[in-house]
Amino acid sequence: MSRVALRVLLDQLVTGLIILCIMAAAIPVVILLLFVVIKGLPGITAPGFFTDLPHPIGVPGGGVFNAIVGTLVVVGIASLLAVPIGTLIGIFLSEFGRNRVGYAVRFVSDVLTGLPSIAFGIFGYTVLVATLGHFSAISASAALAVLMLPLILRATETALVLVPNSLREGGLALGAARWRVTLQIIVPAALGGIVTGALLAMARAAGETAPLLFTTLGNEFLQLNPGRPMGTLALTVFKNALVPYSSLQDQAWAAALLLVLIVSVTNILARVYVRRVQR
Amino acid sequence: MKHAVSAAGIAIALLLAACGGTGSTSPGPASGGATVPTPPAAALTGAGSTFDYPFFSAAFYAYNQKFSQVTVNYQSIGSGGGIQQFAKKTVDFGATDVPAKDSELQPIGAAGTVQMPVTLGTVSLAFNLQGVNDGQLKLTPKTISGIFLGTIKKWNDAALAADNSGVSLPDQPVTVVHRSDGSGTTYIFSDYLSGVNSDWKSKVGTGKSISWPTGQGAKGNEAVATTIKQTPGAIGYVELAYVLQTNMTQAKLQNKDGDFVLPSPEGATAAAGQYLVTSPAQFSIVNAPGKDSAPISGYSWVMVSKDQTDKTKGTALVDMLDWLVNDGQQYAANVHYARLPSSVVQNDVAALKTITSAGSTLLTVGAS
Amino acid sequence: MSQGTAETVVPVPPVMLRHRRHRVDGDRIFQCLAISAGILVLAIAAIFLLALFVPALPAIREFGLGFLASRDWNPVSLRFGALPFLYGTVITSLVAMVIAFPIGIGAALFLADDARLPFIRVPLSFAIELLAGIPSVVVGLWGLFILVPLMRTSVEPFLSHTFGFLPFFQGPYSGSSYLTAGVVLAIMVLPILVALSRDVIRAVPRSLREASLALGATKAELTWSVILPYARIGVTGAVLLALGRALGETIAVTMVIGNRPGISGSLFAQGYTLPSVLANEFTEATGKIYQGALFELGLVLVSITIAVNVLARLLVWRFKGASEASVV
Repeated sequence: MSRVALRVLLDQLVTGLIILCIMAAAIPVVILLLFVVIKGLPGITAPGFFTDLPHPIGVPGGGVFNAIVGTLVVVGIASLLAVPIGTLIGIFLSEFGRNRVGYAVRFVSDVLTGLPSIAFGIFGYTVLVATLGHFSAISASAALAVLMLPLILRATETALVLVPNSLREGGLALGAARWRVTLQIIVPAALGGIVTGALLAMARAAGETAPLLFTTLGNEFLQLNPGRPMGTLALTVFKNALVPYSSLQDQAWAAALLLVLIVSVTNILARVYVRRVQR
Repeated sequence: MKHAVSAAGIAIALLLAACGGTGSTSPGPASGGATVPTPPAAALTGAGSTFDYPFFSAAFYAYNQKFSQVTVNYQSIGSGGGIQQFAKKTVDFGATDVPAKDSELQPIGAAGTVQMPVTLGTVSLAFNLQGVNDGQLKLTPKTISGIFLGTIKKWNDAALAADNSGVSLPDQPVTVVHRSDGSGTTYIFSDYLSGVNSDWKSKVGTGKSISWPTGQGAKGNEAVATTIKQTPGAIGYVELAYVLQTNMTQAKLQNKDGDFVLPSPEGATAAAGQYLVTSPAQFSIVNAPGKDSAPISGYSWVMVSKDQTDKTKGTALVDMLDWLVNDGQQYAANVHYARLPSSVVQNDVAALKTITSAGSTLLTVGAS
Repeated sequence: MSQGTAETVVPVPPVMLRHRRHRVDGDRIFQCLAISAGILVLAIAAIFLLALFVPALPAIREFGLGFLASRDWNPVSLRFGALPFLYGTVITSLVAMVIAFPIGIGAALFLADDARLPFIRVPLSFAIELLAGIPSVVVGLWGLFILVPLMRTSVEPFLSHTFGFLPFFQGPYSGSSYLTAGVVLAIMVLPILVALSRDVIRAVPRSLREASLALGATKAELTWSVILPYARIGVTGAVLLALGRALGETIAVTMVIGNRPGISGSLFAQGYTLPSVLANEFTEATGKIYQGALFELGLVLVSITIAVNVLARLLVWRFKGASEASVV
């Protein structure tokens, strides 16, 4: 075979391999989602899944109402903590961050993103559970807030950096103070990216399990007081997966389906929103 | 009377909605309301043993149906976890299958703790073998030790075949499943093995967390059961309730008298009946004599602080525990636990009466 | 943009002066607020490390450096060592990277190339992004009920028969194993590996690519001789970041690894990782030594993860420019 033909053959081979690779990369999510939907659909469409509390083990039926409420409360409080602070830090990094402090903050936040989620649980336990003397939803929220902070921070900074400098210069040239320019011109222009970052961080927090294991412990009853232990959807999936009762295992799949729906829809919405806002 | 209790309960629940949890408000079964104390509204948290989780799950659900102002949130994290979290005071009560030592209860200490048995259960050896049904496999102390020491590696081992002449055991490796967490069930089981096998006693010993010679670990009775169910050729020690409620296959165990018994609540009661005294110092009922005794049985204990700082919570706690060892025992029978012997119940109520808050006794009503 | 108006070089009338002082104060307040928020992050990170380090001290004093080499894990005799968990963490992550690396680079090459099948690129890229958002516990659930039986009935027997001469495919298998955990981890780190590698490959200058194609190179030769060497540093950084993620993954691994603190040469064996043992035993550790040992394990885990992450970020930053925000 001529040298050229050999090279072309090699090229086609490599192209084939690359296509195999992308297929292999895209298949896991399809398989995962397929199984979650197939196994979770019976449970999620069962009457009372959304409105009932869990039944004692061995008694079929029941629902995850307490877990849904718990997830909303825990993630809600975590977001209330992380979003304002994270946005502020992101603003700081983009506007005043070209110095040593900014460098350090960026570095530390990048390191925090890579930490194992269980470490945040240990942090939450040492700081809020051992000191206050009981498990609580708020210790989980604190752990999740620290987990969300770097994500929001970086997303905000990225969004702000993308705003064209001409906007900044124009505002300053009109005589507005630096802080006014930032808060009233730049931030609104970057709002798409900031909101996306916050939504993605919230979706991530909703799916976390490890930080919750020894902070909020879990609760089969409805609990509205964040100072007490609460259950969440992710915890429900984890615990029910490990029990031998098939009705509870079905509920685990159903809760997993619900969780995947919430997280995926939030992710999709966030990305669509940012694409629409960025002209 | 019943309506008044429910109405009062609902009113209290509405008033204290921020501090307490809410459960379903359907009217619970009437069970002689006059002798069961009505607790104040409280959200109680307990943690510990997975051994009695099926019982607790049913009982606390029923208690909330009866008294909607009280939620008892019990998380089964293993006896070790129960003792640790109780000692740290992160939970209101702890549950364990082996009474805690004074050193484990620091800083409260054993003197400041009431430890009382609340249920009686038995450990079963569940397995997963195709073609071998419930009760068809017979295990002796010798074969059980062999399996868990790792000396019996295959199901068609000579020692197993000798005891099971009518059953065809496959040429399949034995997968041992044990606990990965600090477990009172492990304590009861290893206590039994130490008693029947000197090799085990010297090499491994008794404890909540031991160094297993072989096998894979799973967290909690629940996960051990799930693993056995999913792994052909697996065998492990699981509390009876999990086995019966999920239709697993278990083996007949040879007790001290030489009889092969299928673990059951009656077997547990027979074993417990052989011992007159039950206290945190003397609690082991494994390898009990008697032809009906289930050899690997044990009580499960609840730990409560003698001095309750929060009077309302403390009152709710003792009321709930009083109900648990009296009326609550009916739920034990439903989920394959044995009722507490009446002598034990009397001791428990007496112990509950020693619990005080700021000096005054909290338990106001006697046993039914 | 239109020109500003009010400010001139002429001495400013008193009214304007007062106004200007207000503005400066507002700016200063804003700056102080922003800087304190930044310092807050540093403070949180410091508390984070202290929360791990201080409770670990009793164990550090008791076991010293030997902790890292000891195979013991005995809560009864209070002898602890990190080796089985270090081994498990490293092995499962290695298996994950061996599986994920070729697939990830191939996928990244596909997605970075604008000329290949554009209409299918978007859905494929979307699928991989979706995978990134799936919670760890859901992957673990699938792993426990679908993958473990599959491994036990099909994959592990096949590997045992065909490749049983290799020491790591020998021995009994029950489905839960280092191998299964490695597969689960590979699935979890694939998205981040693909996303970062794609960015790195896209950053290869167009001029280089076009020049080599103009000289008659095939796509394969372009990739092998130009793109990959150029992107080598950045791709290494991406791989390290993915590795860092694999090292720290907790829940999905706990559900499929078998939870046995031991060291085995066989990939079919059950094992334990640093995050898993923390998840399982944290709530029940009694006594300062046992607790200290667990905290020390946490410290080891966090140190390894930080080291890998720092190395990765340095490489990625060097490749992409230090001020650009990262993708994750």
